[in-house]
Amino acid sequence: MSTRQGVVVGDIVHAGGLPLAGLGAPGERRLWSDRLRPRVEPYLFLVPYLSVFVLFTLIPLVFGIYVSLHKWSETTGDGGFVGLSNYKTLIEGQGYYGSQFWQSMWNTIFFVIISVPFLWIIPTALAYAVYRSPAKKLWRMLFFYPSIFSVTAFGSAWALLLATNGGSVNSLFHLNIQWLVGMPQAWISLDMATIWATMGFSFIIMYAAVTQVPRSTLEAAEMDGAGAFARFRLVMLPLLRRASVVVVVINTIASFNLFGQDQIMTNGGPGSATTTITMTIYQQAFDSYNAGGATAAAFLLAIVLGVIAFFQLRVSRRGA
Amino acid sequence: MANAQISLSSPSAALVASSRRRMRRRLIRKLPNLVVLAIAGVIMLFPLLWVLSTALGKGTGGLASGSLLPDGVTLANFRTIFNVSASQDPVLRWLLNSVGVSLVAAVLVALIDSLAAFSLARLSFRGSKVIFYIVVSSLMVPFIALLLPLFLWFQYLGLLNTYGALVLPYTANAFGVFLLYQFFLAIPTELQDAAVADGATRFQIWWKIFVPLSIGITVTLGLLTFMGVYNDFFWPLVATSSPTMRTITVGIEIVAIGQYQTNYTALMALTVVSVIPMLVAFIFAQRRLVEGIAFAGIQG
Repeated sequence: MSTRQGVVVGDIVHAGGLPLAGLGAPGERRLWSDRLRPRVEPYLFLVPYLSVFVLFTLIPLVFGIYVSLHKWSETTGDGGFVGLSNYKTLIEGQGYYGSQFWQSMWNTIFFVIISVPFLWIIPTALAYAVYRSPAKKLWRMLFFYPSIFSVTAFGSAWALLLATNGGSVNSLFHLNIQWLVGMPQAWISLDMATIWATMGFSFIIMYAAVTQVPRSTLEAAEMDGAGAFARFRLVMLPLLRRASVVVVVINTIASFNLFGQDQIMTNGGPGSATTTITMTIYQQAFDSYNAGGATAAAFLLAIVLGVIAFFQLRVSRRGA
Repeated sequence: MANAQISLSSPSAALVASSRRRMRRRLIRKLPNLVVLAIAGVIMLFPLLWVLSTALGKGTGGLASGSLLPDGVTLANFRTIFNVSASQDPVLRWLLNSVGVSLVAAVLVALIDSLAAFSLARLSFRGSKVIFYIVVSSLMVPFIALLLPLFLWFQYLGLLNTYGALVLPYTANAFGVFLLYQFFLAIPTELQDAAVADGATRFQIWWKIFVPLSIGITVTLGLLTFMGVYNDFFWPLVATSSPTMRTITVGIEIVAIGQYQTNYTALMALTVVSVIPMLVAFIFAQRRLVEGIAFAGIQG
């Protein structure tokens, strides 16, 4: 930020603050090149981004707030201003939609609790194991490659792997487990599939952080007689704090948005036991045509996500 | 090893033996580590092997036979997905839609974000801080909050079921601006000063200095965008309804819960086909991708 100080407003950031080309040019050109150009040009670079930002982030956001304060349907449009009643219905859990909102919110929070710890522990443990072993590139590829599968691709693969009749896991191990239609197995199945498919990114981040820990620090600990696990817990782990917070925040947000694999593997079932908040929002919007209520629910979810991310980042700063 | 054998008869034989013992002890100590990795590796590979054997296998493939290995290899399932009633499930069209949309979005994001990041990081002008904070805070808006309003907005604009709908919402990528902003801040000011002294315009400075210096991270941003758009499910699901405008990710869901509900082997062939463009991108740019994710993760 210090590079910005002492520079003429509108000019390029550099030490001398020299005006750009145009010295000695005819009067009219000088007005453009000396005075207007430095003021206008920085904005020109921003025009493409600001245009798409306004069109595809800002307008939808403001429009969404407007919609959430109205009775609104995708088919018939604006049905009149209703104030905060869409939010009230949800927060107080009124009616079918209100109770569905809370049930799916708790379902989602449950999934976050059973997925995020594993999505941190497994990549971290594997990152340390790969760091201590030969053939690092091979392992890295092995743990990252499922990231190339889309949610529907790995969702349908796991749905068939875990099918009760004829599913590969059941036939291979001679089991008869209702992986997808029984509780609590449905959650376990979704958890396993999600961890398998999405831990690659977290692994890469944790691995990068592990390799940045100075070798001398670890060797010093080894000299002092610390075993591999003690070195990991006492030396490595505190230095992985920053990367860990990034991984936890990213995975918390991703798990709160559980949708595609759930839709394909369990379709929210058995019953509505694995119906997530995003599925409820989707159903309200596109099956019940309640755009106002669905938008309100999406904003409430966004607020919950913001608050959680804020606290996770705060906890990380306090320790640093 | 050869050296060790020669020196066995030499006076340092005892030393060599002890170093060998130490090596063996080291290996034993590392064994649990390798066992953990091997088990994890098998678990990671299992679904892939199974998908491949089901897609390429004869008959029901690996699915009901209770074994991972198919009876024989055939491409029949791939023929099925590309042939069956092209009007109903145009798989090739879905693939081309996905690749085209993701490529265009990736190029647009790289270009738009590079221009914006250059202006915010290296040019000084009134309001630059405010704009930067708006960009950064828009990172906090989760996509789910924008999904429905975007749908209604595109409905209002009459752009649902168009390529515009499939590309445009991804172009407002604040993450990319932030990533390139961080990178541009680290480029020495001397380079810029020298160019200014030579009479270069701002556009020339961006194009001739900042773009070449940041080409690695910019390509990585493009790749991450490509991956994200190609694999996105929620937005193309709501933004399109006509069969010809679907992307492959949505197409798989349609097939999975639709007409092939019993034709598992064809569904797995479709899954394999859907991964191929991503696999190509992955093979060509694995190192860059890995470095990019690591950089982005560590930048926080």
